[in-house]
Amino acid sequence: MSRKSSGVSRRDLIKSAVGVSIFPTLAFTKGEAKRENAQVVIVGGGYGGVTTAKYLKKENPKLSVILIEQRHFFMSCPLSNHFLAGLMELTPLCFAYNVLEVKYGVKVINDKVIGIELDRKVVRTSQGYISYDFLVLSPGIDYDIEDKPFYAEALVYYPPAFKPGSEHIYLKKLLSEFEGGDIVITVPPPPYRCPPAPYERAALIASMIKRNKLKAHLYFIDANERPLINSEGFLSAYYDLYKDVATYVTSAQVKDVDVGKKVVKTSYGDFKFDIANIIPPMKAHSILESAGLLKKGEKWVSVNPLTFETQVENVFVIGDASMSYLPKSGYAAHSEGKVVAKLINAKLMGKEVKEELLQMVCYAMVDDREAIMTETSFKYEKDRGRFIPIHREDNQRKESTAKRYIEWAKGLWRDMFG
Amino acid sequence: MDRRDFIKTCGAIAVASFLDTKFFSEALASQEGFLKLYSKAILLKEDGTPLTEKDIAPHREYIFFYPFASTPCYLINLGDEVKGAQLKLNDGQTYLWKGGVGSKKSIVAYSAICSHQWSYPTKDYAFINYYPPDKPSETTKKAGVIQCCAHLTVFDPKAGGKVIEGPAEVPLASILLEEEGGKLYAVGVLGKDQFDAFFENYKTDLRKEYGSTAKAKELVDKCVVMEVGKYVKEIIRC
Repeated sequence: MSRKSSGVSRRDLIKSAVGVSIFPTLAFTKGEAKRENAQVVIVGGGYGGVTTAKYLKKENPKLSVILIEQRHFFMSCPLSNHFLAGLMELTPLCFAYNVLEVKYGVKVINDKVIGIELDRKVVRTSQGYISYDFLVLSPGIDYDIEDKPFYAEALVYYPPAFKPGSEHIYLKKLLSEFEGGDIVITVPPPPYRCPPAPYERAALIASMIKRNKLKAHLYFIDANERPLINSEGFLSAYYDLYKDVATYVTSAQVKDVDVGKKVVKTSYGDFKFDIANIIPPMKAHSILESAGLLKKGEKWVSVNPLTFETQVENVFVIGDASMSYLPKSGYAAHSEGKVVAKLINAKLMGKEVKEELLQMVCYAMVDDREAIMTETSFKYEKDRGRFIPIHREDNQRKESTAKRYIEWAKGLWRDMFG
Repeated sequence: MDRRDFIKTCGAIAVASFLDTKFFSEALASQEGFLKLYSKAILLKEDGTPLTEKDIAPHREYIFFYPFASTPCYLINLGDEVKGAQLKLNDGQTYLWKGGVGSKKSIVAYSAICSHQWSYPTKDYAFINYYPPDKPSETTKKAGVIQCCAHLTVFDPKAGGKVIEGPAEVPLASILLEEEGGKLYAVGVLGKDQFDAFFENYKTDLRKEYGSTAKAKELVDKCVVMEVGKYVKEIIRC
């Protein structure tokens, strides 16, 4: 299935995931004067924003917490590949933001953030200015397509489905109506949102081809030389289960997408398709650039990795938009949201907070019934200022792991909206 | 701590003082907010006769429901004496756990609702389970622990349910057991219980299972104890 033998070992994987350089300071909560109240504004209602909002109010009901999010309803990206492959309806993935208002007193504003003025400590929306004492930015990703304009057209016709909502619904429609032919999925180089997601999607779409007995073939075109995580498990599934319906093309860069002729041009040749899922490179949401938190040429916001505070005091960036020791995932954003909520409340109380290294758990389906998983803990080498990830992978595909996967997601949703 | 909790706490300490005066005199000073007395409930075998120490095989996992009709607990005979422990929370608060009961002081009980995101054993699945010394977890390689497979928190049943690793921030709540005339009773719950979150998050499931929320919240005065494998269709280990 692969044009190159990946032959990845566990050691290679660990090497490839060497730690990131640490932000210059490790300063934690300073002993500030105790304050009665403050206004916290959170931009973005994904895993990070929702968790921060809920936990801020849970720990300190007196706090004024405003969550700004364009959509009225939350949709989970984790488990959305189940939806695309027809293993799950959309409804279990959706939650109403007003639950946060009713249960916890979070003020939810459904509006677009037009600007952030860090010097004046205000966020501008279409309805006016909102001032803050603490600002938590969790706006997620944008597609990084400025230097490759062909992506702009491609993502309208063949949506990436890496931003929750209508992209998923439209891609699902394409897949549901697909009766045969060629499908192309492209994977960008890292970092991008949720490293195993494209590999899981490819496996589930290949599985769908088999399940529906379609005369179809999947060309899975990866800019990387192997799956970024759980490569042993994914490759094993691709070779064992989908050799007859899918071709895994590695180290192939996308050069152009011609939606009229339905061709993806790559460094490994051209691939014609009937439907496609073109996943472009990604960067932090553009609002962070306009706020001045991204320097020229930077794609992601540097933060103190242990506090997620930016170089601007009391301004935090969490979730996929930040560059920390954690992968870009909903689970990471959720964990970061809890850390930031704790830090802000501690600052207000004039208390110090212990440093903590977070732990990641990640699951991926490899067919309709079976999944693989990874747990990652981190070591911090203080003298070298590096975080070393330690992966514990379970690459044996199992039905029980797929059941754990569902429970994993349900637990997160309970924690956010329960 | 409200008045009701305080009365419950004092009541629990008074009852428990019969068991271990020293422990509970110390506890009185430090357990405020952690100890809740519920109905004293006798543990029964499936045939309705009282459960005795000899009925609890070492390192098997048994389930019963306490203090409410719908809140599952695990009962484990850890084989050897389990000494008391002091548990410390992230905010610096501490509470004392008195250790095992029975002739060897080896029997312990914990709420089976994960303190992280409230996974619990249902009739279909149990994601949170005990891993005996001879069957370590495949993922964490730890044995003699209670582990939740959803997010991989590992709890130590030999130390009051404290978190060994994983994302949970508080220990499992422990169930206070009392032995009287060879019979075992559950008398209260020690620690940060998760009952409010449990009832809030599983309203629909509990209504389906028990007919109404009120029935799910009924306090029990007797608990049927059975092996988890008999109650749950599929034990999910990891």
